[in-house]
Amino acid sequence: MTSAKNPKGGGSSDREIIRELADLLNETGLSEIEIEKSGLRVRVARQISLHAPMASGAQAVAGGSGEHMGSGFEKAARGGEGESELDAANHPGAVKSPMVGTAYRSPQPGSPAFVEVGSTVSEGDTLLIIEAMKTMNQIPALKSGTVAAILFENGQPVEFGEPLVIIT
Amino acid sequence: MFDKILIANRGEIALRVQRACKELGISTVAVHSTADADAMHVRLADESVCIGPPSPTESYLNIPRLLAACEITGADAVHPGYGFLSENARFAEILEDHNIAFIGPSSEHIRLMGDKITAKETVKNLGIPVVPGSDGGVSSESEAMASAMEMGFPVLVKAAAGGGGRGMKVAKSADELAMAWATARAEAKSSFGDDAVYLEKYLTKPRHIEIQVFGDGRGHAVHLGERDCSLQRRHQKVWEEAPSPALNAEARNRIGLVVANAMSDLKYSGAGTVEFLYEDGEFYFIEMNTRLQVEHPVTEAITGIDLVLEQIRVAAGAPLSFSQDDITFSGHAIECRINAENAQTFRPSPGVITYWHPPGGLSVRVDSGVYQGYKIPPYYDSLIGKLIVHGKTRNECMMRLRRSLSEFVIDGIDTTIPLFNELISEPDIVNGVYDIHWLEKYLEKSQ
Repeated sequence: MTSAKNPKGGGSSDREIIRELADLLNETGLSEIEIEKSGLRVRVARQISLHAPMASGAQAVAGGSGEHMGSGFEKAARGGEGESELDAANHPGAVKSPMVGTAYRSPQPGSPAFVEVGSTVSEGDTLLIIEAMKTMNQIPALKSGTVAAILFENGQPVEFGEPLVIIT
Repeated sequence: MFDKILIANRGEIALRVQRACKELGISTVAVHSTADADAMHVRLADESVCIGPPSPTESYLNIPRLLAACEITGADAVHPGYGFLSENARFAEILEDHNIAFIGPSSEHIRLMGDKITAKETVKNLGIPVVPGSDGGVSSESEAMASAMEMGFPVLVKAAAGGGGRGMKVAKSADELAMAWATARAEAKSSFGDDAVYLEKYLTKPRHIEIQVFGDGRGHAVHLGERDCSLQRRHQKVWEEAPSPALNAEARNRIGLVVANAMSDLKYSGAGTVEFLYEDGEFYFIEMNTRLQVEHPVTEAITGIDLVLEQIRVAAGAPLSFSQDDITFSGHAIECRINAENAQTFRPSPGVITYWHPPGGLSVRVDSGVYQGYKIPPYYDSLIGKLIVHGKTRNECMMRLRRSLSEFVIDGIDTTIPLFNELISEPDIVNGVYDIHWLEKYLEKSQ
């Protein structure tokens, strides 16, 4: 995107500047260039998706999933979060769902969650429960560490391979 | 009518079912393994659930995961496609227990026809002609010998739990029987977990002719004509056509009526196919498939009936949309199964499709879930698409097929299209004069 503020008005020379800046952007791999010269201020920025730090990435995913909690896996709702989801799935500390079912944060409704962001866990500790067809399955931490992110809402349907928790 | 159907399959048939659901205004759930995350039907479905890693036992054959997927999506019906769990009586039963409709026949009928020995007994009692054979299973070599001597050699030793052309061994004479008996039982045990075998007369030059049936589950059943599937390689069908070049209207009506009446008596529900070997004007029952078949489009082409739409309607409790008198046969249709295999060695060719241009035009249908840029996973069968062509006569159909094949471009992988280009020029194929051994003999000659 570009924005050019030139109080004196401009013409092809303005466009040339923008074009040059755009080329410079591509050549150097910079994300944004802003110059001011003779009263003309030009800013050229590349539209990039930032790799959000894990915590806010998790927020984005969790917030989005809230929209379709309990109703399945509609494509539209998921479309926007594609990138942060991919990051989560590839994170070395990601605990991925080994099954299809409904994920719960706590052993039963009303009781405290197994873990919160920041909890310390040991290998084998239960992180969450996935229920399928009336059977409850405890999902353990595969290594010890700290819970960096929780990527699902209580009662959310989950599929095989879906990243649920990040442990660092 | 159902609100949401879960499609428990993959590839071209999952897309086929997805299309029918959409035309009925029914929501779809596509379940898939991690290897199929980019499949066309997954992209088109309203919802998708990843149910496991690539291995079929942990995904498409995994009943608990399929059930869980139904549960979390609220699907009220499952269409099993063909293969995988489509003829698994236990799966149908479990769905019944959970009040989820199984789009297919009852678990009882699946079980009945799944055991090749009881299937033969059942249809015999319903008046369908069967291949002469041992009456029931044969549990000792001496029993096998006695049975074989009675019907006369050559004989076929067949696995009771087999089907789809697997678990069969030929004994051309008494000397070969002991070996055929032993190996058939060993293979049956390892492939199907059950070494029960029975004997059948081995027909020398039969055609494979199967009848499409449809029942409403309440005692009304019709036949939708036959398909000739004689061109097979290792018991896998390669080219199918409807009607059969070998049958006339009288023969068709005769066998069709016998089969339709049998299915009515059985109170069969949904789509089914009764398979026969046809030799010297006689039909011999070999097996019944209680599901939709790969080659159903050729029947759709000559009858104008959408079989998957009808499957869904019948499963939802509606009566058949047509009576036997409503069914007419028009023209001729041929289907070529396009596999991702080398056309000479038949070695599988997984990989990326770099260029995909299917043929089009009047009466040309391509059923395929692949697309340009698609990566064919190596974990499943090699069928990547079906080319179905219809014409007013068999000649017109063959010309249209020749033209369509010449337009079909699939780059980046090997396919069996070159084989079909050869076949359409073969005099025997052009004249419709072939039997179930023809293709194997042809391929042997070309080596």
